[in-house]
Amino acid sequence: MKKYHLLLTVVIFLIVQVARAQITLNLALNNRPQPWLSDWVNPVNGQMIISYMQGPAINDPSIKLKTTLLDERGSIIGVSNINSARIYTLRAGVNQFTIADALQLQNLALQGNLQNLLQRTGRLTAGQYQLMVEVMNTRGDVVRAKQTRPFFITSYQLPILMQPASGSSLDAHTSQNIIIFRWTNLIPGTRELPQYRVQVFEILPGQTPMQAFRGNRPLLDESAIKGTTQYIWLPNLPMLDSTANKQFIWTVQTLDAKGLPIPGMDMNIQGRSEPAIFSIVNQMGIIDKKRKNDDSIK
Amino acid sequence: MNQFTKIALLLATFLSSQVSAQEKKKPFTISGDMGIWYEGYGLYKAPSPAVPDFYQARRPSNLFRYSFNPTLAVGKWNIPLNFNFSPMQNNFVTVATGGPQSIWQFLTNPVNNFGIRPKIGTTEILLGTQNLQYSDLSTGDLGVFGYGVNLAPGKFRIKLFNGVSQRPVNYLAPTIIPLSDGIIGAYQRNQWMGQLGLEKEGKYFTGFNFVKSKDKRNSVTSAPLSPLDPQENMVVSFLTKVTTDKGWNYHVELGHSFYTRNLNTPLSTTPVEDFKPFIISHTSTNKDNAVMLGIAKKGKDWEAGAKFNYYGAGYYTAGYPFMNNDRMEYLANTRFNAWKKKINVVANIGQRFGNLSRISGPRLTKQIIANVNVFTQFTERFNLNTSFNNFGFNVPGLLGYKSVNNELSVNPSYTWINSKMSHLISGTYTWSKYDETILNVITNNNTETALILYVPTFFNKKISPDFSLMWFRNTAPSINLTLLSATSGMTWKPAPKINLKGQLQYNLSTMAPFTANKNLLATSGFDWHIYKKLIWQFSMTTNLYRYGTELPGSSFTPAYSGSPGYSESTLRTGLQYKF
Repeated sequence: MKKYHLLLTVVIFLIVQVARAQITLNLALNNRPQPWLSDWVNPVNGQMIISYMQGPAINDPSIKLKTTLLDERGSIIGVSNINSARIYTLRAGVNQFTIADALQLQNLALQGNLQNLLQRTGRLTAGQYQLMVEVMNTRGDVVRAKQTRPFFITSYQLPILMQPASGSSLDAHTSQNIIIFRWTNLIPGTRELPQYRVQVFEILPGQTPMQAFRGNRPLLDESAIKGTTQYIWLPNLPMLDSTANKQFIWTVQTLDAKGLPIPGMDMNIQGRSEPAIFSIVNQMGIIDKKRKNDDSIK
Repeated sequence: MNQFTKIALLLATFLSSQVSAQEKKKPFTISGDMGIWYEGYGLYKAPSPAVPDFYQARRPSNLFRYSFNPTLAVGKWNIPLNFNFSPMQNNFVTVATGGPQSIWQFLTNPVNNFGIRPKIGTTEILLGTQNLQYSDLSTGDLGVFGYGVNLAPGKFRIKLFNGVSQRPVNYLAPTIIPLSDGIIGAYQRNQWMGQLGLEKEGKYFTGFNFVKSKDKRNSVTSAPLSPLDPQENMVVSFLTKVTTDKGWNYHVELGHSFYTRNLNTPLSTTPVEDFKPFIISHTSTNKDNAVMLGIAKKGKDWEAGAKFNYYGAGYYTAGYPFMNNDRMEYLANTRFNAWKKKINVVANIGQRFGNLSRISGPRLTKQIIANVNVFTQFTERFNLNTSFNNFGFNVPGLLGYKSVNNELSVNPSYTWINSKMSHLISGTYTWSKYDETILNVITNNNTETALILYVPTFFNKKISPDFSLMWFRNTAPSINLTLLSATSGMTWKPAPKINLKGQLQYNLSTMAPFTANKNLLATSGFDWHIYKKLIWQFSMTTNLYRYGTELPGSSFTPAYSGSPGYSESTLRTGLQYKF
């Protein structure tokens, strides 16, 4: 008798749930989404699924979404405006949305400095956050489903080129044998060590440095030992020759474990640090001048 | 494009008619130069083919470049031409087309210049490729192919230009059969620029710069895939530069940028309001500021200056696409002579702060840069150059990073003369200590370099030899590299118009505990003044490299019995004619 009683209770509970909760929400958010919030339309950031089942009770298939952003302590740092939220009409069954639809960036008001930062950079400060999405009725006063997901966000600062410093001059005798390249680490560090590729371009006669950088094939395109921030290049080039190019532009390309460029802060999505220019100074040139001076003295 | 062609043709017709009209009245002069330049490269490897591939070709097999840079003066017209181009494309950072270039792609390839700037009085017409530098916060890094005008009536300065800074390339998917990496593609980037200001040459300039760029979405039939999304950018900057009679220089620039990362994102006035009619905001639109301030004073025997730069994390300009933002820096520099002008000192010190927005972590990054160079001419025969460089980078915190580099270099030179010849001996010793701290683990990296150079000069002979020896050592965890190098060069002038040259270099580089890699570099060539205005340069270099046990033949599949090595040859030749 007790078993039948228990079974009946479960069946009644399920019927009530089906009648009440015809909308279920599944927020499949990548826990490390892309740092630019406008990029959350990309599938790599996850997706939101709203399942709608037509039950015995008459239910409105029209809904609005309410989005709340919380910091790691659970304090609210941003809320969407429910009045101006878009009205969606659900189809029976599964309705797929992007995470950008869940975030409602165009309808989201962040608090204080974060709103200012979002205006300036399109990103949030690095840290742990929570995304809470509530499926509401169109009046915005009844929550029909709700889910919260944590995520961690960070942006990378590409290495800064340190040596040879931009605008520096290197001695031709030394540099036709050896040139040391050094740069700073990727900030912040990654779980897997990044791969740095050193790329050096000759600036050909009549070219500007950036023209050489954008148009030429690199003379050197080699990986440093994984995780290290130094590369020793043995150029074996006749730097002293009169036809040799005396100006170079170099950069470091930072790649992730899959060999894909890590996007930095610049306009390009190439993982390339701001390039630096260096020149080769032929000490013989100075000596030649001395010779001429000596000759004139004679 | 059609409209552009028509305008260009009209301007060219107008220009030629002006030239013809002036030719009858005024003489025609031409200056500048033109030339052709060729580089051939060959690589032979043993074993070849090798798995893994131990050395890859570092130059294209053939590379031709042409230059035509005359300045025509016809009456009141001054017409500089800047044609520097190559029919080949070796694009690496920007996208190569993967097949033959269309004429438009050839003209807008960043490696090529096709520029004309006819000028009459205060009017300058700009056609073709132009490298225009308006200011440090607006535009200056890129060549833009297009048309424009510079006007300078009185104190007014008006500059306008419209062109293409990035050529269109269709996306092509990678394939397995045949094996192809595909082409990532690129949108055509149109750029509009303007400057409106007041100037008194050598005294002051003040004005506004406007730069807008927008990717043309229908410029490609097969669009690049995300994240190569179409972008839009607008920069307005205010620039003032003043030079006083007392030697003071002031520089102020304030910039404000709008940047849309992806024009495919929804239109939205949140988070950034529209800047009509120039920018219609999307959800991916940001705006931010940048500031540059500078002050300098120049005296008779000295110079000193200071500058401050700030780039907001959302400050972007298409005129400097690789600019590093989210930073603030200050720098002080000086240059002066002392001790009856026998000592010359150049020094600078500065600090840079990064991650101001904290979007890459909770802490600022800090960078220190300090350099000092002292040159002393003790006597007519003896001089000494000493330099010290320090740079450090620090990201505080438990997961922090720190690097400090100290480098000291000493370079004495001594000359002595007798009745038949002069001798110059010069030495350089450089000591460098580079320490990195990652996750509280310190790595010491020490480098020493010593170079000695001897140059005898015979007063009655046409031969000029030089000799140098170099020693280098780098020690760091798992690295113990030593390099020994001997170089000898010689120039010989058998006739007044020809200069023969040759150089031989042999070096041994040893990565302990392996045996040495051996390398011989031989270069020979000539510079020949065929006529007064025509120079022919020729150079041939051979580089022979043989690996030691660092790269054993047994490491290849299939195993190679000998020592792996390669030889590469580079031929360079160029003809240059000076008008």
